[in-house]
Amino acid sequence: MRPPAAPPLTRAVLALYPPSWRARYGDEVRALLEDSGGGQAAAASLAWRALPAWLWPRRHLHDRPARMRASLATALMSWSMLAGLGLVFAQLTQLQGLTASGHPELRWAYAVFDVTFAASALVAGLGGLPLWLLMLRRARREQRTRDTVYLLLPVIAPVAYLIGLIVTARLAGGANGVSPGWFGVVTLAGFAAAATAAAGPGLALRRLQPRGPALRLAAAAAGVAAAVMAVAAVAIVVAVISLDLYARQFAGYHDGTVPGIYLALVVTAAAVTAVSAARGARAALARPELGP
Amino acid sequence: MTDRLDRWADPPLLVLASLADEPKHGYAITQDVAETMGVRLSAGTLYAVIARLEARGLIEPLESDDRRRPYRITMAGAEALAQESERMSRVASVARERLGTRLGWAGA
Repeated sequence: MRPPAAPPLTRAVLALYPPSWRARYGDEVRALLEDSGGGQAAAASLAWRALPAWLWPRRHLHDRPARMRASLATALMSWSMLAGLGLVFAQLTQLQGLTASGHPELRWAYAVFDVTFAASALVAGLGGLPLWLLMLRRARREQRTRDTVYLLLPVIAPVAYLIGLIVTARLAGGANGVSPGWFGVVTLAGFAAAATAAAGPGLALRRLQPRGPALRLAAAAAGVAAAVMAVAAVAIVVAVISLDLYARQFAGYHDGTVPGIYLALVVTAAAVTAVSAARGARAALARPELGP
Repeated sequence: MTDRLDRWADPPLLVLASLADEPKHGYAITQDVAETMGVRLSAGTLYAVIARLEARGLIEPLESDDRRRPYRITMAGAEALAQESERMSRVASVARERLGTRLGWAGA
């Protein structure tokens, strides 16, 4: 039977609590307020205790698998954007032959980026592979066509992008490659492909709601991959600043606008990746509660 | 002064003590604590305490069709309560003894 509607004041103070807290204790608190007559003092005491409920969430109320799934989806998306930003920058500047004579830190920054990016991708791939295979098997077994497509997007999107890239280069490319306009289109299409590839598993995670050791492994691996990728992000920052300071051909030499926007994007993507992955890894490795 | 001493009462301990004899739901706990221990637990404090004790495995909820879900003390909760009661008993004993010396009490 549906419980009677609570008074507005009760609903208002309960709305201050985290959803998981409300789902667990909301009905009981409403019953208590009905029995005790409620009143403003009771409402005030509940409102006063809402902030600690957010600051120190109780682990028995914490849906760890949901936390891991949400963190994985976010970290995957932001990691892909960060990887795209780094790859475009590293490839473009190295192909253009931009150098900072007398400043070996630029060479080191490229090398560190290459190694850490590869290591991060390897860790993320290996850690996420069991989960991806399990979800794919379940989607196929239960004939969930849409989820199967979502899960295959990390393969479909890059392949489609590469085919588009080859076709574009043949049709629009000249002796010196494609025009700046086409280059912009190809670059944006690359980011769109990366976003699509990352969004697929994220949507599948949301719909299939996997649990268990494979999810924990993926979340823990995402934490490691994000930590390694943070080093790659630092390498990008060092390379951009080096070029901006010492390479005369780079982005309007000493004009910090474009590099500044680029660095802001890199730092934002790195921060989102690190925070999301850390939250997921924390949920994966959580121990019994010791908080206040 | 006596009212102010009420603030020393530890709400988790009061809830554990209330549940020591039988399971109770939220409102029954507040009534019991008020009647037997003289402390009025607000709704916010009560459910903050219940969430904390439940998270630490010191109490557990019982199945209920009613919204008034009863809680019972667990073995770990009973042990924690026994230890704390023993400690408080020692404090009370020392306090009575020393007050007796100072004020000439014969003891409680």
